Amino acid sequence: MKKYLFFFTIIFGAIMLMNSSSKTGFFPYEYKTETLENGLRVILIKMPSNGLVSYYTIVRTGSRDEYESGHTGFAHFFEHMMFRGTKKYPGNVYDRILTEMGSDGNAYTTDDYTCYHLNFTSDNLEKVMDLESDRFQNLWYPEQDFQTEAGAVYGEYRKGKASPFFWIWEALCNTAFEKHTYKHTTIGFEEDIKAMPQMYEYSLSFFHRYYRPDNCVLLIAGDIDFDKTMSLVKKYYTSWQKGYTPPKIETEPEQTKEKRKEVIYPGKTAPIIVVAYKGMAFNPSDKNYVATILFGKLAFGENSELYKKLYIREQRVLFLEEEFNFNRDPFLWMIWAQPKNEKEIEYVENEIYKTIEFFQQTLPDEKKLGDLKKNMKYSFLMNLDTPSKVASVLARTLALTADINTIDVFYRTLETVTPQDIQNIAKSYFLPEKRTVVILKESK
Amino acid sequence: MKKWYLTFVLLLPVLFLSNCGVKKMGNSQLIEMKVPQDPTVSFIVWFKVGSENDPAGKEGLAMLTGRLLAEGSTLKNSYEDILDKLFPIASSYSAKVDKEMTVFYGRTHIDNIDVFLPLFEESITMPAFKLEDFERIRSEMLNYLEKDLRYASDEELGKAVLYNFIFEGTPYGHITEGTIDGLKNITLDDVKAFYKRYFNKNNFVVAIGGNFADDLPEKVKKDLEIGLSEGASNVNPEIKPKPIEGLEFTLVEKDCNATAISFGFPIDVVRGDEDFFALWIFKSWFGEHRNSLSHLYQVIREQRGLNYGDYSYIEAFLNGGALRFPQPNNPRRKQIFEVWIRPVPHEARLFAIRAALRELKRVVDSGLTKEEFELTKKFLLNYSLFYAQTTMERLGYQVDSKFYNINDNGNYIEYFRNKIKNLTLEQVNNAIRKHIQYNNIKFAIVTKDAEKLKEALVNNVPSPITYPTPKPEEILNEDKEIAVFPLKVIPEKVRIFSVDEMFVK
Repeated sequence: MKKYLFFFTIIFGAIMLMNSSSKTGFFPYEYKTETLENGLRVILIKMPSNGLVSYYTIVRTGSRDEYESGHTGFAHFFEHMMFRGTKKYPGNVYDRILTEMGSDGNAYTTDDYTCYHLNFTSDNLEKVMDLESDRFQNLWYPEQDFQTEAGAVYGEYRKGKASPFFWIWEALCNTAFEKHTYKHTTIGFEEDIKAMPQMYEYSLSFFHRYYRPDNCVLLIAGDIDFDKTMSLVKKYYTSWQKGYTPPKIETEPEQTKEKRKEVIYPGKTAPIIVVAYKGMAFNPSDKNYVATILFGKLAFGENSELYKKLYIREQRVLFLEEEFNFNRDPFLWMIWAQPKNEKEIEYVENEIYKTIEFFQQTLPDEKKLGDLKKNMKYSFLMNLDTPSKVASVLARTLALTADINTIDVFYRTLETVTPQDIQNIAKSYFLPEKRTVVILKESK
Repeated sequence: MKKWYLTFVLLLPVLFLSNCGVKKMGNSQLIEMKVPQDPTVSFIVWFKVGSENDPAGKEGLAMLTGRLLAEGSTLKNSYEDILDKLFPIASSYSAKVDKEMTVFYGRTHIDNIDVFLPLFEESITMPAFKLEDFERIRSEMLNYLEKDLRYASDEELGKAVLYNFIFEGTPYGHITEGTIDGLKNITLDDVKAFYKRYFNKNNFVVAIGGNFADDLPEKVKKDLEIGLSEGASNVNPEIKPKPIEGLEFTLVEKDCNATAISFGFPIDVVRGDEDFFALWIFKSWFGEHRNSLSHLYQVIREQRGLNYGDYSYIEAFLNGGALRFPQPNNPRRKQIFEVWIRPVPHEARLFAIRAALRELKRVVDSGLTKEEFELTKKFLLNYSLFYAQTTMERLGYQVDSKFYNINDNGNYIEYFRNKIKNLTLEQVNNAIRKHIQYNNIKFAIVTKDAEKLKEALVNNVPSPITYPTPKPEEILNEDKEIAVFPLKVIPEKVRIFSVDEMFVK
């Protein structure tokens, strides 16, 4: 009997997940979700927007999936290739049609996903669907185009390399990770970028492995009719063949001692320090996970005691901030600071540790925790005022889970976090042997 | 238990492009934009002052003053207390200072207006001018000039150098952040005097958008009038850039890994002028910001893979590396035509300069074709809808319309679209011929071995290009023409500075 109940629960849950519609919960807009037979997850969000629509195709592949040696930066490079067109709509034709629509389109690549986004007026919805479904199924480009695009990617690399943050970010990833592909940044290593023009064949296999419906989320927000839009999705996307091949990513071994690295930036800059602890994979229903996000903001955020001390009162730093990102695999909980000069580095670093110790020994103030929860909810909701903002706010979460309910789950869990939970995670995760410290200094 | 966020569920569907009531009366100090469906209220307080009013030797004073108001203590609250009060309501305010305009932005949920509004108003009317706040902000501005702007982004550096170069000797002749010596010379008393002179009751406009009570705008205006001192409305100084003689170059010598190129010249057209809209079509076709419509982008990036992008402008576009659309509230009485070539390999720098100039010459000489014109027009009619999607952005455009004396009936985007819709090819090509040229241009180039580039420029040395990978025959043939595109540059018009000399005075 119990087994039957379990079976029904699973089936019912699956149906709910496969085809659901909601307008209750924390997320303020009505939405409808469905998973097509080929595995494509479709999320439609209805919001009055005077005819504007935001259209996001989220490929759940980013630089994390670059597990083969010599191919760092390839997910990003491939993002560029997606604009080179198909036989039906070659790149210049694709561009021309979108230009005629006056659409705003672009793409970006991150560690965990690649996102193709378009904003346009709703009368163009079917045409956009025709174009987008076509390029995701039938991408085609000659080798010469591929090689030319490699030049543009190298240009993007050169542009970014002027920034000191480029240098410290590359060193942080490379130092903190031994096995996992988070070891390299999304833009990739320079030698791999230089070699890209020779990787035409590889690019085809990359497309066939990762650009599959069962690895994608289609998110459409704005002035749309649920039924008509879903019918169009089925019309244009059903023919897309499933066949996602997951990358063979090695698990990162447990870190057992502190790592340190110093980077010299070939220019002038105030020093930068990052203290990064091995983190957790995104898990919005896990109280410890959500408590950690809250801890980062309480201890190092824009209204934290340490921020006020170092930035406002003592004026030893140009900024202090936490970066506790949502990631598919365990990444890093990072605390960044820019001391005004090199003499302050040690002091600032010690203040970060003293703050962690304080939270390990002292329960955070109940009111401050309440204020933070309120701040996070207001901030989230106040940022949802246009379709493109809604889509961009949701993109990362959907890339990690393919499930919009995650938002409600996260904020429900957030409500349950207590001062004791914060102290517990400070004690369990923020240990010296779990951290990597990278310090960047200017060249002399 | 009342769930506070239910108000969002009911109200968030914001009809941000709907026909909301905008009241904007003549010389009134008020702009009201009702958006009943918006659960938030947006505020802009505009003072008619900017970096053009920086006293000589104190460059950066306007920005330092604006930032000190928005990021410092008031007579009622310390800066820390202000942050504590704003934090739970996730609200904030900030200052943006440009050449001619200082605006204070604030936004809060309608539920929290009683907490937010006094803090926002006090930041403007009751600044504490604490020395520690002053030092904190000044040291950040100095760090920006001495380190970030010089080193962290060669293209932003190039753009800043170009503006300073074009407006050298005028009140626009330094970037808004000022100069290093200027900032170091500023005292707290200078800030207080600047505040007293320009932040007065006759020199501001209040703009309010969103869902607010009918009496709110008058109340805010009165509160500011009571809190601010007497004074006069600011009179703008004359901006008369020196005529450009031929091709003039400022080369910034830097140990960089690629060459950043910006060039341009002043134009006599600003938003609202009839030719402005015609030129908008031209700049959009020639170099739409971060869009493949851009012709320069097609020539330099798409066909040749030399860089990441190539764009052109007829209005200052701030923070272009991070933004896709122009932001309001940096209106200027004097604009430039500007071309931004993103970093190219050093070995391709001369080729890229020639390619861009050659394309400029072609379009000035021949104008847009009917097809190019129609395509760009069609593009802009919808694309402009994205310029102002939020209440704050739309309110910002209303402030700009007041600055430019544009009567747009409360909706600049619709006004813009109508202007674009009614343009003819002839108008556009006439405007190009009248305002755009290719003989007198200033260049700002951030590069390595600047002497070598100078030598190549003044000797009109051909710049053939090779690619690591094959290219179509038509591209290679065109490259041969680009490589010898004539450059008439005299040595006296090429000056070289080391990067550490930039923004000092």
